[in-house]
Amino acid sequence: MSAAAGPTPGTAGAPAGAAPWFEARGVSKHFGGVVALDGIDLAFYPGQIVGLIGDNGSGKSTFVKIASGVYQPSRGSFAVGGKEVRFRNAADARQAGIETVHQDLGLVDSMSIVRNFFLGAEVRRGPFLDLRRMRRETNRMLEEIGLGNLRDLGQDVSRLSGGERQAISIGRAVAFEKKMLILDEPTSALSIAETEKVFEFMRRARQRGLAVVCVMHNLAQVRDVADRFVVFWHGKKVVDVTNEGQSEQELAGYIIKGKLSELGIDQSSLDTGALRVLAQE
Amino acid sequence: MTAAQAGTNQQVLAGAGPAGPPGQGGPAGAAARTSRLGSSSLAFRILRQRETGIVLVGLLMFVVFSVLSNGTFDSVENWGGITSTAAELGIVTIGVALLMICGEFDLSVGANFSFAALVMATMIQDHYPPGAALVVALAIGAGIGLLNGLVTVTLDIPSFITTLGAFFLWTGVTLIVTGGETVTILPPTPALLNVLGGMLGSQIRSELLWWLGLAVVVGVVLQRTVTGNWFFAVGGKRLAAVEAGVPVTRTRVLAFVICGLFAAFAGAVQLGHLDSMSASFGTTYQLEAIAASVVGGCALMGGRGSMLGAVVGTLILAMLDSGLILSGVSPYWYEAVVGVILVAAVAMHTRVGQLVSGAGA
Ligand SMILES: Nc1ncnc2c1ncn2[C@@H]1O[C@H](COP(=O)(O)OP(=O)(O)OP(=O)(O)O)[C@@H](O)[C@H]1O
Ligand SMILES: [Mg+2]
Repeated sequence: MSAAAGPTPGTAGAPAGAAPWFEARGVSKHFGGVVALDGIDLAFYPGQIVGLIGDNGSGKSTFVKIASGVYQPSRGSFAVGGKEVRFRNAADARQAGIETVHQDLGLVDSMSIVRNFFLGAEVRRGPFLDLRRMRRETNRMLEEIGLGNLRDLGQDVSRLSGGERQAISIGRAVAFEKKMLILDEPTSALSIAETEKVFEFMRRARQRGLAVVCVMHNLAQVRDVADRFVVFWHGKKVVDVTNEGQSEQELAGYIIKGKLSELGIDQSSLDTGALRVLAQE
Repeated sequence: MTAAQAGTNQQVLAGAGPAGPPGQGGPAGAAARTSRLGSSSLAFRILRQRETGIVLVGLLMFVVFSVLSNGTFDSVENWGGITSTAAELGIVTIGVALLMICGEFDLSVGANFSFAALVMATMIQDHYPPGAALVVALAIGAGIGLLNGLVTVTLDIPSFITTLGAFFLWTGVTLIVTGGETVTILPPTPALLNVLGGMLGSQIRSELLWWLGLAVVVGVVLQRTVTGNWFFAVGGKRLAAVEAGVPVTRTRVLAFVICGLFAAFAGAVQLGHLDSMSASFGTTYQLEAIAASVVGGCALMGGRGSMLGAVVGTLILAMLDSGLILSGVSPYWYEAVVGVILVAAVAMHTRVGQLVSGAGA
């Protein structure tokens, strides 16, 4: 976004004058001896799309799961609108306004599309499920998202293709979105046209003032859609900069920056050409 | 949780409209509307029900036994007998099937059944009010289920193991407390026992009504309430349920409690039927209830199953029991045939499941 400020250290990538909606403060996560996240400080702003990138196993999904209440952090805290919060579970995070498309899509194969769509947010009528209303809303959302060709909303999700499953998971998050939308590799199974549609959803969410976070491996795509890049390396945040039209090679350079600092090489001493060479390794 | 849901729901219902992209989903949407009509036809919906196959198998069995037994199998007297034997197992199976849908097992239902009913019988024998005795029995059942659930979720071990342990524990406790004696309630029989398992008219016992009534209630809960939806979700894919914000731990423990409660109630019903109780009654129920559930279409790993299936599965086992005898086959064949039916039924459910997944919304 052109409104975004330059890459100042600390508040890197923040839109000028904006206050963060969501902040991670020194968040760490250990699994037994494995340190999946190590002291992450990270802020997300309304109306900004953040591309979260990093190598396999760098901790992106772990961060997503903590931010969405699925895991508890081992250390550190979160703030929403400047106030410290604790998510005991995903319901707390959803209530706070965070909708997430998890890497595993979070769908129950043996349940229908409609029931998956409203899982954890079921519509009641008295003591009973309002299935008719749920079906109608699902239908409308799927048509809006361009999945209106799914013939039968009562069919199990297990019958769907990988791309259709992904689209349903995204459609669900977009339908319920309120303040922040987190997508963990949402487009990995989608065609180019469908991917572009998902980006359109992200841009529209940005326009409505949502904070959007998107984990992606495809650097060309992340360049297109993100206002800001955050790079994880071995559980640490190593880069946090505004998107200024960096090339794919430069982004790849960011991803291996952690590797450089681990080797004791000062990244600033290298020019883009050297990063490009390293990125190709 | 409730507040969270209400908030989220309003968002989707009110917010989705204005957010919609102009012009998107137009042609595809129009095509969808027409094609969706065809798939909701009644015949299609019946055919794709997971239970259709097993209901047909049950009907076939009825016809075959009726022919082989020269009309004794399908007599009203015999069906009075079949249904009252089936009712106790059937009530146990309701709970076991619900728990299996939630992805868990309970191998302690037989021990729970005997222990709860023996305590109830002893209390009635000792002149406690029968109502109080029933409440205590149900509390024991729910308590055993609660313990199964809490141990399973806090120690994070498979419920197969937890409840196998519980089976031995409560069988042992029952034997210690009763010394293996049968407890018999002498006339006059309290009215409550007649309500639970006495004769209604000349052929039918009230336990049949309890069984079918409870199956309908639990079926509605499973299919039409949020809690029921969560049982399916937790059993189908626990992580997805966690990610959606379903209170997974609470849901799992609740399923164990319900299963324990039904086992104890079945024990009370059996006491009402026989006016006596022994530790040896109900010892085979855990396996029969799992067999009946699986024959009726419950998936072993959870996420699929129904009350219609649980009832039909139980009826098939009960029909076998009676039908073999009346057809002049040695009753020793019962176990062997159950084994074959069990495997055949699962094979059938798997094939049908591959052809048509889904059962309405
Ligand atoms: N539940 C878990 N138990 C143990 N270790 C875990 C668990 N979840 C993640 N990890 C470890 O934490 C590290 C970070 O994993 P994570 O899934 O967050 O990576 P990622 O950046 O999302 O990778 P990818 O790009 O492959 O999705 C990995 O080393 C992984 O093995
Ligand atoms: Mg990941």
